[in-house]
Amino acid sequence: MSVREILSEWGVDDFRVIDKQALSEITLGASILATGGGGDPEIGLLWAYNVVDQGKEILLVDPEAMPDEALATIAGCLGAALVLTEKPPNGQELFWCYDKLRRYMGKPIEAVIPPEAGGVNTPVPMAVAGAVGIPVVDADGMGRAFPELQMTSFYIHGVSPSPTAAADEKGHVTICDANDALLTEHIIRGAAMAYGGISWIAGYPMTGRQLKDTAILRSISLAWELGKRVFTARRKHLDPIAEMLNLTGGYRAFQGKIVDINREFGAEKTKGFSLGEILIEGIDTFKGHTAKIGFQNEWLTLEVDGAMRCMPPDLICILDPVTGEPIRTDIVRYGYRGTVVLIPAHDRMRTKKGIQTFGPRYFGYTHDYVPVEKLMEGKEG
Amino acid sequence: MTGELRVGFDVGGTFTDGVLMRGKDVVVKAKSLTTQDVTAGIVQALDALLNKSRVNPAEVAMVSLGTTHTTNALIERRNLNKVGIFRLGAPATTAIPPLTGWPEDLKQAIGGVKLVHVIRGGSEYDGRDIVPLDKQAIAEACRKMKGKVDSVAVTGVFSPIISDHEEQAAEIVQEVLGDDIHITLSHRIATISLLERENSAILNASVITVMQRAVNSLKTAVSERGIKAPLFIVQNDGSVMSVDYAVDYPIFTVASGPAASVRGSVYLSGIEDGVVVDIGGTSTDVAYIVKGFPRESSITVTIGGVKTNIRCPDLLSIALGGGTIVKHQGEKVSALGPESVGYNLVRLGKSFGGPLLTVHDTAVALGKLDRKLEVFKTDFVTHPEKVNALPRKLVDNAWAAVKATIEEAIDKMKTTVEPVPAIFIGGGAMVVPKEGIAGVSKVLCPDHFEVGGAVGTTIAEIGAYAEGVVDLEKEDRDNAIARVTEQAKDNAKTAGAIRETVEVIDVEEIPFTYMPGKREKVRIRVKGKIL
Repeated sequence: MSVREILSEWGVDDFRVIDKQALSEITLGASILATGGGGDPEIGLLWAYNVVDQGKEILLVDPEAMPDEALATIAGCLGAALVLTEKPPNGQELFWCYDKLRRYMGKPIEAVIPPEAGGVNTPVPMAVAGAVGIPVVDADGMGRAFPELQMTSFYIHGVSPSPTAAADEKGHVTICDANDALLTEHIIRGAAMAYGGISWIAGYPMTGRQLKDTAILRSISLAWELGKRVFTARRKHLDPIAEMLNLTGGYRAFQGKIVDINREFGAEKTKGFSLGEILIEGIDTFKGHTAKIGFQNEWLTLEVDGAMRCMPPDLICILDPVTGEPIRTDIVRYGYRGTVVLIPAHDRMRTKKGIQTFGPRYFGYTHDYVPVEKLMEGKEG
Repeated sequence: MTGELRVGFDVGGTFTDGVLMRGKDVVVKAKSLTTQDVTAGIVQALDALLNKSRVNPAEVAMVSLGTTHTTNALIERRNLNKVGIFRLGAPATTAIPPLTGWPEDLKQAIGGVKLVHVIRGGSEYDGRDIVPLDKQAIAEACRKMKGKVDSVAVTGVFSPIISDHEEQAAEIVQEVLGDDIHITLSHRIATISLLERENSAILNASVITVMQRAVNSLKTAVSERGIKAPLFIVQNDGSVMSVDYAVDYPIFTVASGPAASVRGSVYLSGIEDGVVVDIGGTSTDVAYIVKGFPRESSITVTIGGVKTNIRCPDLLSIALGGGTIVKHQGEKVSALGPESVGYNLVRLGKSFGGPLLTVHDTAVALGKLDRKLEVFKTDFVTHPEKVNALPRKLVDNAWAAVKATIEEAIDKMKTTVEPVPAIFIGGGAMVVPKEGIAGVSKVLCPDHFEVGGAVGTTIAEIGAYAEGVVDLEKEDRDNAIARVTEQAKDNAKTAGAIRETVEVIDVEEIPFTYMPGKREKVRIRVKGKIL
């Protein structure tokens, strides 16, 4: 069945065609919402461009349009960001995953949901949806980027990542069907290591009903709109940060110059993630103040003059104040100038289980989670 | 080699500058109009230098240049090689084939997708083969390419870490296509990030002949004039490489001119940390100097519309120069440029009786042309009545607009809020404001600033780098850095530096994220003096 046939079977005639311009806008928005991590989206974007150039259609549908009983899975990659930029996929990996999952589950997969509205795992599912010929749902599992498979709104609201299929470029497929989400994460990451650094994955099979009940809804249109506005701001020489705050209801929490970067490596607790903190010296209205941002692949905590201002899962984005281009944890350098924007996480991410799964203590910080709205009360500069 | 004679050239969009140096002193300087073929302009400047100085050409110990041969060829898609393209990476990587995202005209100019071959091979990050290299497929592809390609570019997955497959492929290419075929191996060009490195390697292969011709005609011109000195070309990091090396790595000269300017500013001003503002006839380049070398850009560099990861100076180019047209409505300035009259200033500018108001004319009107530069043949103003007729308000507004534009550019390049010294060089430096520039501790306009780029080419320092992936669980960090540093020093020696003079410019560490273990990539840049 083609994507149009699936949609007509669903009785859906309201969808949006994702063309190349839309892809670039969504990818820019997603790289901002990636909170400094999520991998370089360029590979996913170029792949999706090629899919469009081959005449395939990428169609975005609203979650409400998806029938309750239809089946969707995430599609994306998991592993080392550096390997991704050096060893891009061949485009068949996800076909193999879908094929094996369909046979394993005995049901067809009718839609793709992006695991993240941030980083490479936003354009990749677009490319996959176009290549496989199924729609992509306007939703994701976190409304940002996070490093681990279990760190999703799906999981904390009761959807298991299993069965998850992980493929490499040679057609090897690992299917993991474990009750424990953390174990699934370990097994799939282990597969990535064995494959040479990257697993291409399809998993979290969920019905339309489950998707509507657990996903971060319409986050892809949010990323799209964000990308559009930043591009427009650049073209018209407007303030991209102001555009972003208007759209997301975020806070302009700090502005300054990065004066120190302190990276730590692979201690037991870091589970192999790049970990460290940066110091930012305030400029303009923040002159005389200092900010400290902790990161573990993503920016996770912000302290200003020693006072905590933001903790996971709330979003910390550091952006070039002029271009709105996001600054990533892996390429951040001394001397960069950035504006720190904080965005409250979606309510579906802030449940008790959510805070257990991706709150400050999970990442080894000793603070209890306090929502950014509370921490920023009366503090906006 | 201080005390000896050195000749340097800097090819700009409008003028080609030349200098003859003795030790630290500029003996004579010359300016010629840049020609379409670039080389003729250089030879003209060389003749002017030799005629003016009357030195014995045999005494010249070094000839060097910052040049735009390759950049022009790529931008204009002119005289490019047909490139046989090999990627060693299947069954991985094929979702994004080579030349993805290239402008169509450039793709055609280098022979197009029919010369592309994605071959089974390449390595994993840990040294394993993805699959064994398909040597037969390479040989077959070469036989098909025979007579259709001028050069070959080979890019293997993870070749910056394990170059075996690229080297093996090169042997096969040589075997089938002969010793004369020029082969570019990606691991010698750039670092991790397959698509950008591949683009860099293909671009390099496409301008081999352009560089070869330029070097040959320069060699001939120089030796015809009795100069026996070796020739050098400034590379993107501001150090020099021998022309024979440059023939293999022409892509390392795409930022040759700006890099030479930065080095010249450092040399002439003695300032090793600060901002360099190089003002030409049509554009201004702003760079930042760290320990005497241009700061490298950490983002992708787009050349001729193609994304690459070639290391280039972090450069902000703005469309502002002496010839930039001041657009105005009455006394109000509506825009500065972006158009420039370029070398037609002497016909089109108000100062010369022409119809257009330029930045140059503004400076003339305000009496700011304080220095008389011997290298210019013409006077700066031949029609003072035209300039005097300009409304004072308009002139003031234009001057303020130029100042604001320069201030903004400097501010974008600074990494600190503290004021830093700024060095203004280039032919346009005398027609822009230099007083009260915001964010700047002082503005220096050193002697010979108008030929700063040419002076910069004569500083005899070789640059080199090395990189490696280290596992910090198995090796101490300091040891690892020391090991890669030694490698970088060896590389500098190979490129012609005296090993004892080699010093580290900077150390960069990039961790492998989202992967267990303590792996990181270390990249070390060094510089050293020439033998």
